[in-house]
Amino acid sequence: MAGSKRDKKDRDEKKSKKAKHEAEVVEDDDIDDGTEALNSKDVPASAARECTEAAAEDEFGAQDYRKTLELKADHMSRPLWVAPNGHIFLESFSPVYRHAHDFLIAISEPVCRPTNVHEYKLTAYSLYAAVSVGLQTNDIIEYLRRLSKTSLPSGIVEFIKLCTLSYGKVKLVLKHNRYYVESQYPDVLQKLLKDPYIQQARKRELDEEAGNDTLIAGQLSNKSALQLNKPAASTSDGQASASTAENGDNENAKEDVPDDIFELYDKIDKDDDDEDEAELKTVSFEVNQDSIEVLQRRCIELEHPLLAEYDFRNDTLNPDVNLDLKPSTILRPYQEKSLRKMFGNGRARSGVIVLPCGAGKTLVGVTAACTVRKRCICLATSGVAVEQWRSQFKMWSTVDDSLICRFTSDAKDKPMGCAICISTYSMLAHSTKRSWEAEKMMEWLQNQEWGLMVLDEVQTIPAKMFRRVLTTVNAHCKLGLTATLVREDDKIADLNFLIGPKLYEANWMELQNLGYIARVQCAEVWCPMTPEFYGEYLTMKSQRKLLLSAMNPNKFRACQFLIRYHERRNDKVIVFSDNVFALKHYAVKLSKPYLYGPTNQGERLQILQNFQHNPKVNTIFVSKVADTSFDLPEANVLIQISAHGGSRRQEAQRLGRILRAKKGSAAEEYNAYFYSLVSQDTNEMAFSLKRQRFLVNQGYSYKVITKLEGMEKEDLNYRSREEQLTLLHQVLAASDEDAEEERLLGDMPGKSLEDLNYRSREEQLTLLHQVLAASDEDAEEERLLGDMPGKSLSNRRVGSMQSLSGADDAIYMEYSKNKKKSDHVHPLFKKFKKA
Amino acid sequence: MAGLTYKKLVCKDLHTYLRSLTPSVLDKLYCHPATCLAVYRDLPELARHYVMRILFVEQAVAQAVVKQWSNTSPEEQVEAAAALMELRVWYEQPLPGGMPGWLLNPTFRKNLSTALLGGGTPWLGTKDLTPDKYAKDIPFLDKYALERWECVLHFMVGSNEGSDGVNKDITDILLHSHLMRVDDGEPSITAEGFQFLLMDTSSQVWFFLLQYLDTVQTRGMDLVECLTFLFQLSFSSLGKDYSAEEMNENQLRFLQHLREFGLVYQRKRKSHRYYPTRLAINIVSGVSKDATGAKLDTHRPGFIVVETNYRVYSYTDSPLQVALLGLFCEMLYRFPNLAVANLTRASVRAAMSRGITAEQILHFLVSHAHPEMLKNNPVLPASITDQIKLWEMERDRIRFTDGVMYNQFLSQADFELLRNYAKDTDVLVWEMPEKRVIIVTKAGHDDVKKFWKRQRAS
Repeated sequence: MAGSKRDKKDRDEKKSKKAKHEAEVVEDDDIDDGTEALNSKDVPASAARECTEAAAEDEFGAQDYRKTLELKADHMSRPLWVAPNGHIFLESFSPVYRHAHDFLIAISEPVCRPTNVHEYKLTAYSLYAAVSVGLQTNDIIEYLRRLSKTSLPSGIVEFIKLCTLSYGKVKLVLKHNRYYVESQYPDVLQKLLKDPYIQQARKRELDEEAGNDTLIAGQLSNKSALQLNKPAASTSDGQASASTAENGDNENAKEDVPDDIFELYDKIDKDDDDEDEAELKTVSFEVNQDSIEVLQRRCIELEHPLLAEYDFRNDTLNPDVNLDLKPSTILRPYQEKSLRKMFGNGRARSGVIVLPCGAGKTLVGVTAACTVRKRCICLATSGVAVEQWRSQFKMWSTVDDSLICRFTSDAKDKPMGCAICISTYSMLAHSTKRSWEAEKMMEWLQNQEWGLMVLDEVQTIPAKMFRRVLTTVNAHCKLGLTATLVREDDKIADLNFLIGPKLYEANWMELQNLGYIARVQCAEVWCPMTPEFYGEYLTMKSQRKLLLSAMNPNKFRACQFLIRYHERRNDKVIVFSDNVFALKHYAVKLSKPYLYGPTNQGERLQILQNFQHNPKVNTIFVSKVADTSFDLPEANVLIQISAHGGSRRQEAQRLGRILRAKKGSAAEEYNAYFYSLVSQDTNEMAFSLKRQRFLVNQGYSYKVITKLEGMEKEDLNYRSREEQLTLLHQVLAASDEDAEEERLLGDMPGKSLEDLNYRSREEQLTLLHQVLAASDEDAEEERLLGDMPGKSLSNRRVGSMQSLSGADDAIYMEYSKNKKKSDHVHPLFKKFKKA
Repeated sequence: MAGLTYKKLVCKDLHTYLRSLTPSVLDKLYCHPATCLAVYRDLPELARHYVMRILFVEQAVAQAVVKQWSNTSPEEQVEAAAALMELRVWYEQPLPGGMPGWLLNPTFRKNLSTALLGGGTPWLGTKDLTPDKYAKDIPFLDKYALERWECVLHFMVGSNEGSDGVNKDITDILLHSHLMRVDDGEPSITAEGFQFLLMDTSSQVWFFLLQYLDTVQTRGMDLVECLTFLFQLSFSSLGKDYSAEEMNENQLRFLQHLREFGLVYQRKRKSHRYYPTRLAINIVSGVSKDATGAKLDTHRPGFIVVETNYRVYSYTDSPLQVALLGLFCEMLYRFPNLAVANLTRASVRAAMSRGITAEQILHFLVSHAHPEMLKNNPVLPASITDQIKLWEMERDRIRFTDGVMYNQFLSQADFELLRNYAKDTDVLVWEMPEKRVIIVTKAGHDDVKKFWKRQRAS
């Protein structure tokens, strides 16, 4: 039906497009990961199910549901439509919006949430997540039925049943250091036990007779394990008043809202975050620890994926860690809400929490660690991020410095007696030889039984690397944190089965309106290409096209103008450029500091500190290394001069750099500015449109600026045609000699190891595609090497690419060891060229 | 680029229309108080002021005197005087002393004073009307009018839902007005037709009637009679019934046509009683100015929600409205009371290639905006408005300059000579030295040609 047809079409389109663009430019960063395909054994077959139902098409080509759906008489007071293909539309101005919203966020994926009508989609994963937080099949259907303006499509009911009946029923619980398979449904357990593999995995007491199939009865508390600092009365009062206010609203609204909606809502609400409900009866059987993996796989095959829960209160084997939130630490309501989902039933559920950048993900992670109070391992994407995690731990919690241990290529603290370990993905996933010290450290990590594993920026990690991380380190509970759970492919959904379901996803616009994140004005500035540049652009190959459009003098002028304008307002400006040649040229011409892949850690910190504290440094130029995890609370203006293809994620991550709420700016309509400079009539236009999709779906709107007011009056560079021509010559010359090399180097911020993350790998892959048409296998192998915490790997990659263009990798290897920023060409080469 | 040649659909206002009539027709029109009053109301403010001042002055008034009546700018005065001239409300008449003066059209004077002061015969037949057994209230009339009118629009869209067809008269008018044209024996909509669809109802009706009036003479009906009746109708009161007893053959025919468009309601064809609907009552004020009076549209609340992510949600079950949206949106889903659509570059460009302008799309979206949208200022998200305009500008990036090409020069010297001449006289549009081609503007062609002939002769 429609959905699948469309999907298929999309896929085909993508395919053909890809073929077309292969020689051209990176399309979307993550279309193809090569390595990605998850072992089918990790995902139950039904997860691939789509909700499909044939629907007639009307004369305009739309899916026509008028015949199949019946409008309820009181439809005006009900807030949503459910389409037979799983899409749900919610009126945000409905009086029951809040209830419907909470419910939908639990059972479906938000597709787009602008001002008035929000769209959600029911997927197998989202329903899986819904059951895993305790929603029941019948409640879901019934509540959906009541909220809907029309009758529920029968296909949807089927779909919900199909997806929820088997999911979320069985849990793998670790308590008293023994593993139990637990369920509230004895029949499900009986069914599982009929399977021979599971039979084998079951651990029986010696005296127990083979025929004795009694299950262990138990009880499940409904008390939330989350203990938060209630700032004396104020929060609880606030909450109380909020809830009464809400009730008040309800009273007012009730007249025109059918009672059944509230009735059921109250019921679900109680299920959801009640504190004093009766205990639930459960049954369980114990399993052998060594056969856990078999058991898990088998359960997935039987379509009863095991939910991992950690009963940390009753875990006596692992020592408690003396770790608490500081009394002054107060969580924001949405942070609390997300954690409630995690600790809802007195245990810790594994899962992913999605919060916008700058909304305080780290604090959520820290609070989770303080709640579990067991040994905790945090994984971040880069060395800078590791430092940030460490300082956040110290800021929010009572943790002693000696308890924190960093494990990066630059900083290796002594692991002895530590309780919190912070490291990077690449450190852990790295599979080739390590230094002796690192080796020891890894051994130690592997031998520990971790209570909680916090995975930062979880979207950036490829499945394969991820699996390695997850298998090397044993953790009872996994918490993924991310801002942008999007990828150009749908592989992200597999995280559901690697970590756990999505527990919570915040609404960007809502947080913005409440002032938790900055209000950002997004703008796309169109810079016309000068005739000379466009002439060259048309004749050039795709690689140079990118460079030419980035170096467009009009773009430079726009950038210079914007920087001046905002510096006068005492704003702090970050300029992003993926293209290193452009980055350097812009920065040097405007005499601003810049940092990119090859910049070493010390210099980086120095630049960042200057940016933060030195009133003379108000603008920095950065490459894509700063996309994630660079916490720059001061920055409030972001200018993007060149970007990576059509990556939605990069756009959102970059926006995240300026999202941290700004102080004392409530008066202005906007307090942060995001400019994307686009050269007109070039590829950038199309890419820009693609990049914006994610943010646009979150409710951001891009203002298109075709002319910057007052630009003519400013004295900017490249005003005259002569200057522009000189620039053009520079660009052309550069691309002939070394711009391209630098580009490659710059695109692989792999030099300093920590930066080598999934993203750059993708880009490298795509670059490889373009430049060398190297095979996926090659690229992949290299990536693994590249993850290693030494410099060797990425250098090797460069080498391999260069070698195709006649360079020798050995030379390059040496080279980058004593890299000089300005000078990437080996002297030998220079001579060679001159000769 | 054929796409650029579409002409914008011009909807004449009353003033422009009347101006296009011959003086004799105008004079005849002024024989009825209703027409005079309607024309008077449509005049610019200053002109109205003049008319009032000399309404009871039976002789010409010196132009110099008239000038001193107000201290507005001279342009405005000229404009007002011209408006009155064009409509033959007054004309120039020298005063006895030879000074230029203005004299009010006597027929106009007489009938306007009747209209203002009362007297004369009732404008519409009210004779021996007993209370109607089937009396209709205003909501019914509104609904009826809209239904009839949408029938016409449906027919134009060619949508096969919900329309039970229209009669030949309407088809003729649509064809006559180029809103539709006959393709393969079937009438199909034209670019102008699309623009027409996106206008608001009162403008549509007015435009349509003008086209109708163009054809009345060929139907053997009297234009003046029809117009007069229309003006009378426009001053009638909504919800009241009028008698058709005393109407002549032609008038009855006209009445039948109006019934067809939904301007009047008649229970049965032969019924001697008719009700004007809001469409008729609005007719004169509809287009000329931004009348703030009750429009027919307004009894139906707006239904379109436009989101910042280019989604369009339309709370409607009307196939016509959906069809209209479908003109410039990509339709995604239809629910019983909701249509979900996307504004895409492709869909908007497709609309533009049919001659629809960005302004019309935006006007349509704004004028039908959902109450929730009306809470915003501006009603539509600025980014959407900008984008639609940008999409339009995008189509407009090529400029055309008419020109004449000179080529096949025998020598480079000849080429340069002529090129330099063209350059110096500022008529050179384009040159290509490699192939020795130049293009000069059309205006400069003669001059350049002469120059060339002179050169060759010498």
